[in-house]
Amino acid sequence: MEDLENNTTVFSTLRSLNNFISHRMEGVSGLATPGSSQSSLQMQYQQRMQLEEQAGQIHSKSQLLQVEREKMQMELSHKRARIELEKAANTNARNYEREADRNQELLTRIKQYQEREAEAENKLKEQMEMNKSYKKSMETMSKKIQEKESKLAEANETITVLKGKISELQWNIMNQEMQMTSQDSEKQELMEQLDIEKKKWQEASQQIQTLQASQSLLAEYEQKIKDLEQKLSQQEHDALIVKNMKAELARFPKMERELRQLKEENAYFREMKENNGLLKEEVEGLQRKLERYEKVQAQLVTVELENEKLLGKLQSWEKLDQSTGLNIRTPDDLSRQIVALQQRELALKEQNSTFMNSARMLEKARQQLQEEILSVQSQLLDEKKKREHQEALVRRLQKRVVLLTKAQLSQVLEEVGSHKQRAEMLEVEMKVLKSQQCTAEQSTVVTKEEVDTLRLKIEELEAERSKLAEENRSLEMKLEKLTLQGDYDPSRTKVLHLSMNPMSLAKQQRKEEQQQLQEECERLRELVRVLKGGGSLSGELEGVGAFQSPQEVAELKKQVESAELKNQRLKEVFQTKIQEFRKVCYTLTGYQIDITTENQYRLSSIYAEHQGDCLLFKASSSSGGKMQLLETEFSRTVRELIELHLLRQDSIPAFLSALTLDLFSRQTIA
Amino acid sequence: QQLGREHQGITLRGSAELVAEFFSYGINSILYQRGIYPPETFTRVQKYGLTLLVTTDPELANYLNNVTEQMKEWLYKCIVQRLVVVISSIESSEVLERWQFDIECDKTAKDDNGPREKSQKAIQDEIRSVIRQITATVTFLPLLESACAFDLLIYTDKDLAVPEKWEESGPQFIANSEEVRLRSFTTTIHKVNTTVAYKKDPAP
Repeated sequence: MEDLENNTTVFSTLRSLNNFISHRMEGVSGLATPGSSQSSLQMQYQQRMQLEEQAGQIHSKSQLLQVEREKMQMELSHKRARIELEKAANTNARNYEREADRNQELLTRIKQYQEREAEAENKLKEQMEMNKSYKKSMETMSKKIQEKESKLAEANETITVLKGKISELQWNIMNQEMQMTSQDSEKQELMEQLDIEKKKWQEASQQIQTLQASQSLLAEYEQKIKDLEQKLSQQEHDALIVKNMKAELARFPKMERELRQLKEENAYFREMKENNGLLKEEVEGLQRKLERYEKVQAQLVTVELENEKLLGKLQSWEKLDQSTGLNIRTPDDLSRQIVALQQRELALKEQNSTFMNSARMLEKARQQLQEEILSVQSQLLDEKKKREHQEALVRRLQKRVVLLTKAQLSQVLEEVGSHKQRAEMLEVEMKVLKSQQCTAEQSTVVTKEEVDTLRLKIEELEAERSKLAEENRSLEMKLEKLTLQGDYDPSRTKVLHLSMNPMSLAKQQRKEEQQQLQEECERLRELVRVLKGGGSLSGELEGVGAFQSPQEVAELKKQVESAELKNQRLKEVFQTKIQEFRKVCYTLTGYQIDITTENQYRLSSIYAEHQGDCLLFKASSSSGGKMQLLETEFSRTVRELIELHLLRQDSIPAFLSALTLDLFSRQTIA
Repeated sequence: QQLGREHQGITLRGSAELVAEFFSYGINSILYQRGIYPPETFTRVQKYGLTLLVTTDPELANYLNNVTEQMKEWLYKCIVQRLVVVISSIESSEVLERWQFDIECDKTAKDDNGPREKSQKAIQDEIRSVIRQITATVTFLPLLESACAFDLLIYTDKDLAVPEKWEESGPQFIANSEEVRLRSFTTTIHKVNTTVAYKKDPAP
């Protein structure tokens, strides 16, 4: 049993070994394919082993013992082997583990490498793609670069052009800068000149100012001179005025006397004027009366002539009475006669008219008769014809009678009788008509005379009618002309117009203008008269003032009064001033200066010994600049002084002051 | 309204209006042509196919308007016989010119109400020729030397009641006159004859 057990353990260890090897082989044969061959070997080995086993079994039995023996050895060896195998197994396991680990490592490495490869492939793809994209971009970039290059080229060209322009401009700028500099230099020169000119101008203006100042001064001096001259002249005038005033004052009483006389005369003359006015009115009245009387006289003369004519007429009228013998004394009789005549005339006219009417009627009758005659004649002819016819018929009938015998004789005879009766009647009618014709002819003979007179009257009437027709035509022409001119029939028409029409307005305006102009004219005439007459006619002025506007007159009066007042005041002021001045002159200079005549001045000294001691000076020039001394009694006494101061020193003030001193010394001494 | 008139024909009222209108423009033309008022007081208007001048002076326009309105009424009643424009010198009050418009009125137009057949255009043409003639008369009328004023006289039937503001007046003849007949025009109801009379120039 042990043997079987030993066999089984051997078999199990063999199986485990085979499995281990197969496993190991499987583990090693990851990469290579010899593992498969090893497996087939295994299979073969196993088969062999089985065979061996079988053989072994067969041998085993026989060899069991050997084997057991050997087993024991084997066990030992096995144990050793097992130990070694275990060791080896362990080492193999360890190697296997190590190689498994290495496998795994390698597998992991492979995986890693595969992953890396994949990654690398991916990266490569990506890189390729990137490359492609980069290529594309490169292409685009290259295109852009080309474009840009072209643009660059253009830009370069433009740059060159612009550079050229810039160069030109720079050149221009240079030129202009040069010009600028030249102009600056010019400007500076001009500025310098300007400065110089300014300085000159300033100097000139200063000179002008000084000149103007001097001129103004001159003007002022001239004005002062003028003022002084004016003052002097005014003073001269005032001195004259003073003299005149003195003279006038001397005349004053005379003037009063004259004034009284003139007033009396004035009153007398006014009375006379009034009387004159009254007398003039009387004269005018008388003149008018005279005219009227003269007219009346003329009228009287004419009236007397008329009277004579009328007397003559009256006498002739009275003679009429005698000449006509109709017992006419008064005009009433005459009128009665006339009335009677008129009545007779009327009666005659009536008769005339009746005659005319009868004439007309007779004419009408005549005409009718004539017509009747004509008709009768025509009837006669007709009757004649009829009679002829009847005679013919009669003959025929007679023939018939002859032909128709006794049977119709009575009838025929009757017929003939009737015809004859008819014929007789016709003949009677004819006779009647003939007789009528004869009477008509007679009546016509009778009325022929009337017809002639009526014809004459008809001719006259026709002449009148034609005249009247012509008058009518001319009147119609006149009427037409008058209607053209604007005539109208007052019984049928009336003429209207607006009360406020332009014509009446224009006339009114014209009237008003005329009135205004006339009034102005009157006013102006009065003014002219007044102005020509002079200012003394104050009464008329006042009367004129009524025509003028009172405002103007009042203003003018006020102005005149104020002017007169001013004048008076000035005169008074001048008088006082003159007197004061003269007194001051007298007291200061010691000389009283009087104007004797034009240009002659008399000086009397305050210290004169005698009343009449005076010096006479004459102004040689009109302004009084140069004076000459005239000879007087007193001047003979002071000849030495004259010789010294006037002849030698030629100074009038010195002479005068010397004279004053001399006289003063004499006075004080005396 | 004018179109209606053209189609409807001329009624009495329409005829009165036409004639009154003609008087208004005619008198304005006369005043301008004869220089009664200064030319700068006139303004141009279009009427009857002509350029006519009418006054801008308000007083004068008012006066003309009053007269024209009254004429319209009297033309409608057919009681006006004549319209006269009298031009006389303001200074001497002497009548220098007389423009006379005679009016013949067909009184049967009052009775029958039917409008008459005459076209507006035909009447306008007639009026136009009259106004042209008035303008042309300036060539032979003597110059009006002095300042002149004018007056309008209307010849009416005797029995007409005189309205307020109107008064009777004399006919204001010209002393020694020369008359010229101008054209006439008719609306088939009213017929207007125009005459101008002027003072003969004293023999030189």
